[in-house]
Formats: sequence, C-alpha cells, structure tokens
Amino acid sequence: MTAEFRLRQAWTIARLQLRRVFFSKRSSWVYLLALFPSVPFFGHAIEVKLSQSRYASRVTAAAILESIREGDTDEEVLKTAGEPVHERKFRRGPRGEASVEYRNLIYFDGERRWFLHFEAGILQNKRSRPLIDFEDDRKVFAGVFQYFYLRLAVFFGCLGIFMNLFRGEILDKTLHFWFLAPARREVLLAGKYLAGLIAATLIFATGAALSFGLMLWPQDAVELSAFWRAQGPEHLFWYATAAAAGCVGYGSLFLAAGLLVRNPVVPAIVILFWEGINGILPAALQKFSVLYYVQSLAPIPPPMDANAPALIQLLMSPADPPSTVAAVCGLLAVTALVLWIASRSVQRIEINYGTD
Amino acid sequence: MSAPEIVFQEVSKFYGEVLGVNHVTLRIPSGITSLVGPNGSGKTTLMNLMAGLIHPDRGVITVRGLSPRDPERLMRITGYATQYDAAPRGVTGLDFVTTGLLLAGHGKQEASRRAWKSLERVGMNEAAHRKVAAYSKGMRQRVRLAVALAHDPEVLILDEPLNGLDPLVRAETIALFHEFAAQGRHVVLSSHVLQEVDVISDRVILIANGMIIAEGHVRGVREEIHEHPSQYIIRCRDASRIAALLFEQDHITQVQVHEDRLGLLVATRNQREFSRALTRISLAGHTVESVVAADENVDALYKYLIGGGR
Ligand SMILES: Nc1ncnc2c1ncn2[C@@H]1O[C@H](COP(=O)(O)OP(=O)(O)OP(=O)(O)O)[C@@H](O)[C@H]1O
Ligand SMILES: [Mg+2]
Repeated sequence: MTAEFRLRQAWTIARLQLRRVFFSKRSSWVYLLALFPSVPFFGHAIEVKLSQSRYASRVTAAAILESIREGDTDEEVLKTAGEPVHERKFRRGPRGEASVEYRNLIYFDGERRWFLHFEAGILQNKRSRPLIDFEDDRKVFAGVFQYFYLRLAVFFGCLGIFMNLFRGEILDKTLHFWFLAPARREVLLAGKYLAGLIAATLIFATGAALSFGLMLWPQDAVELSAFWRAQGPEHLFWYATAAAAGCVGYGSLFLAAGLLVRNPVVPAIVILFWEGINGILPAALQKFSVLYYVQSLAPIPPPMDANAPALIQLLMSPADPPSTVAAVCGLLAVTALVLWIASRSVQRIEINYGTD
Repeated sequence: MSAPEIVFQEVSKFYGEVLGVNHVTLRIPSGITSLVGPNGSGKTTLMNLMAGLIHPDRGVITVRGLSPRDPERLMRITGYATQYDAAPRGVTGLDFVTTGLLLAGHGKQEASRRAWKSLERVGMNEAAHRKVAAYSKGMRQRVRLAVALAHDPEVLILDEPLNGLDPLVRAETIALFHEFAAQGRHVVLSSHVLQEVDVISDRVILIANGMIIAEGHVRGVREEIHEHPSQYIIRCRDASRIAALLFEQDHITQVQVHEDRLGLLVATRNQREFSRALTRISLAGHTVESVVAADENVDALYKYLIGGGR
C-alpha cells in the first residue's frame, strides 16, 4: 500500500464525508454562527443608506453650519441654515413659567451630521460627526472579529462540525461502516478531518468575507477605492486566513475531543476556559493554544479601551504576539500534536453503540 | 502458509465488568460455519472481534493470516454484515453499496457496476433507487448483505443474516452462501436456532455465556449434546435398589444415594435412554415419586440448543 494510495483514499473519505458535514441537521446552527456578525454590519449599512437618501433633499452647506456660533438663537439658526433634517423640542424643570425649553436640531452637510443643542432658545453646544466613519467601522469590525468571531463563532462552529465527525456517527450507529472499509484508521481520521476543515473553512472564511463586505458597503466611494488600492485586499485576505486558521486549530482539538470524551459540553468548557485565560498564562504555556496564534493573524489589532482594567487588557491581547510566520508554524505544530493524539485514540476506539 | 483459517487463541473480551467471551480457542476452516447461541451468548462479540470493530483483552486472532488490527488489508478480503440496523441518513440502496466500494478504492464506474451486480445477487436491484430508510426490515437486511458482498470478499461474516427473510429469499440467500463456500471462501454466520442453520452449515459452533460449548460437524455436535451429562434428582421408596438397577445402564455415569435413602442423584449421558430406563423400573413395580433436573439452567440451555427453543 503506497502513500499515494492512502492519500487518494483519504481524499475519497473526505469527499464522502463532506456531503454529510454540509447537510447534517446537527450542524445547521453553524451557518447561523458564521452569518451572525454580518447582521449588525448589514443593519448599520442599511441605516446609513436610508439616512443618506432621507437627508438628500435637505443638505445644508458646510460653510453655513461652520459659521453658526454658540450663543446664536434658534430662530437665527433656522433662518440662515434652513430646515433641519431632524428636530426635537422638550421642556424640563418645574411646571409652568419656571421650566426651560430645550431644542435639538440636526443638520446634514452631505457628509457630516451637525447636532445643535439649544436651551431657552440659545445655542449651547454644537458638535458634528460624520454620518459614517470608515476608520471607526474598521476598528469595530476588528473588535467583532477578534472578540466574537474568532473566540466564539469559529470556536463553537468547529465544535459543531468536528465533534460530530465521530461522535455523531456513533449516535447514528453508522461509524462501523467506516471502520469496515479497507483503510487504516489514521487515513480515516485524516479524511474526516479534511472534510471538516474544508467545510468549516468555507463557511467561516465566507462568513468573515461577507461581514467585511457589508462593513465596506455603505462607505464613501472615494475612500473605498483608495482602501482597495492600498491595504484592502490584504486585510480581507488576513481576516479570511485567520478564520481558516481558527478552523485548523479548533478543528483538530474538537476532532480529538470527539474521540476521547462523550459529552461535548465538558471539552467545550475546558478549552474555552484555557483559551480564555491564555493571555495571563506564562509565555511558555501560551504557546499551547490556538487563539494565541490565530489572533495575531488578524490584520489590525482590536480596539481596546485604555481605561479597561489591566487584567482585561491582558486577557484580550497577548503581551508578546508572534510574527506571522511564527504564528503559522506554531499553529501547525499545535495542530499536528493534537492530530497525533487523535490518531492514537482512533486506533483504540471500539464499536460499542449500546453503552455510548 | 497452511490452509486459510480464522484462528482464535485463548481470546477473552470484557465490556467493563461484563463478560463478552471468555477463553475462546477456535480454528475455523473455509466453508459455512454457524455460530449458534441464545441472546447475549457472545456471537456478535466474536464477529466484531474478527472484523476488528472491538479488540480482545487477551488472546490473539488472525483471519486468513491477517490481524484484525490491520483493516487496510483485512477488510480487502472481508465483508461483514453487522446486526446494527442503521444506514447513513438519506442514502438510497445503490448509494449505500456504492459508497462501500468507493471506500475500497474502486473508481466511480467500477463501483457502481459492482454495486448493481451485488444488489442483483441479493434480489434488490428493483429497489436500488429507493431510500434505505424506507425499506422493510427484510430489505434492509438484504441491502446490508449486498454491501458485505460487493467487493467479492474471501471472508463473509454475517450476523443473523436470515433474520426477517421470507422463505423464498431465505432459500436464495442460502444458495448464495453455498456458492461462496464452494469457492473455498469463509462464510461465518450466526443464529439463535440450531435448526435454522444446521442443514446448511459445514460446521456449527455452539456458544453460551461467552464460552464455546461444542463445535464441529453438525452431526457430531448433536451427539455431543445428547451425550452431555445431565444430573437428575429422583425421589423414591427403595433408593438403593433403584440405584443398583440404574447403575447397570451404560449411559449412567454416576449414582449417589441420599442419606435418608429416599433420594438419588443420577448423572446420565443420554437423556432419552435414561427416561426409558426409568419407565422400565416403574413398570417393574418400583415407586418413583418424582424426577427433577438437578441443574435446570444447563439442562434448559441444552434443550434449547438442540431444538424446540425459539
Ligand atoms: N457494548 C456492550 N457493553 C456492555 N456489554 C455488552 C456490550 N455488548 C455486548 N455486551 C454483553 O456481552 C455479552 C455478549 O453479547 P453479544 O452481543 O455478543 O451476544 P449475542 O450472542 O450477539 O446476542 P444476540 O443474539 O442478542 O445478538 C452479553 O452479556 C452482552 O450483555
Ligand atoms: Mg448479536
């Protein structure tokens, strides 16, 4: 039996398994996890687009808005700047004469929204903010990607896909069909891992790309094309790659877990905890984690409030992130180690449907 | 290498505390071999051990010289239709058989050609495009047989393959076993009932409580069972006189008179002769009050195995 024969056999196994992974009822919620971060970005995009079209007929020149000063009266402002895009009046204080009237006006200059706050008819405060802030949105995306997508969505998605490669077939009482094939158990393991990896990578890299695309969608056309000419493609690539790398690492962990334990909850909690405290572990131990490598692949660091407690800051970002090459090599080493453990235990596994 | 055999050497398998099989030593030559025993006797355990689905705690197994720990080589020459009545979700009969062949390394066309041939052999080609989940019990049984047959194995292991088959299909299936056996292959099957398989088998292995209790050609096994010593307790008036009469019979292996002289413990190798002898003794005027099997369990088991038990 040649190596080439075994490789082809692993590929055959992967192909047969792949259909089951994609269409298994047990893993349908994995799609939801992958789509989840797209929801807020889609919502944000729709909100921006709607506002833009609503404001389009009432644009006020930026120069006019610049010229308005604190201390101006609301009547003056309405006269020079015209009709606002939004207006709100309310009173506060005791009933009757003593209460103060407040008034908020919002103007739009084509790019920025201007917020004017009046008290008793006098402008007290003027602020402006762009309707959409590319820089900001990219930071938000980086945060969602690191704190939600990598740590939770990819994590639980891989749990759903990879734990079921063996455990699911034991529950269905179909694992013996694979064991009765003229294939070494390691080849079977490799084939199944490959199938899980293809499915998970496709689902989660697509999910990452989709939400990235939705984040970009409402942005200013000029800024956007500049972004695409500069670091844009690279960012997209690294987000997708980080998601895929997460699947490589977590996939191997959950494949092994599915062979070693019956209940998925226990390994899920243990691994989640381990990955969670990774940031405060000694440097040597940090290297035995998937997150340590994967999070350093993301193109920009996630936003971190400088006022956050030191412990949180430590937990969320490694003190000493590895270089890209080191991250890829480290991840592959961890994965190889875990797969080796899995291949040992797949040799020992017995068909025992009754008691599982 | 000598004639290809399936060999068990001092094999034991425990499921935790529960005994699967104990100290099994067997040599199974090619031909049709039936494992016969009641529920929970260890038939499936033996078959799973042969196919490498479980591993022995002690002892060594080889199947035509191959170790069950080497599925890459073993499963090339082995087909196993298990007792697990499950099929992958949503597959048709044809998919089911084809999948096995693809895993065995056949190309797509070759796999589907062989799958058809195999389905034809078990008379399932008309239902090939229907979902396995929608098959009847007997049809599922047959499609599993088709999966096991498809790659033309040297060793065919079939766990209760005749279960749920109608008489016509059963006859066809048995013909298939003979065809395989005639080509020098192994057909190992299991059954609860000796009568079901004794005429079709070249050899029978009787198993109970995880132990082999008799094996060999069918006739030999029957005799072995008839000759298995069973013990009876006889209540009577003149125990010593009856003891003397019984002891003259050559099927009686042991007679013990109870202290109260009102009872006997008798061991016989031939139950039929023993009951005839008792009748003669009664007719001769001796009072026999009762005859009870001393070891009901063992006795019931043997009665069950020789037939009538279902
Ligand atoms: N997975 C398991 N866990 C615990 N005990 C088991 C398991 N499988 C079998 N056993 C025990 O091993 C013994 C032999 O079981 P086995 O399934 O081999 O019997 P069998 O002869 O095939 O029975 P049947 O005719 O019902 O199929 C029984 O006592 C059974 O309870
Ligand atoms: Mg059984």
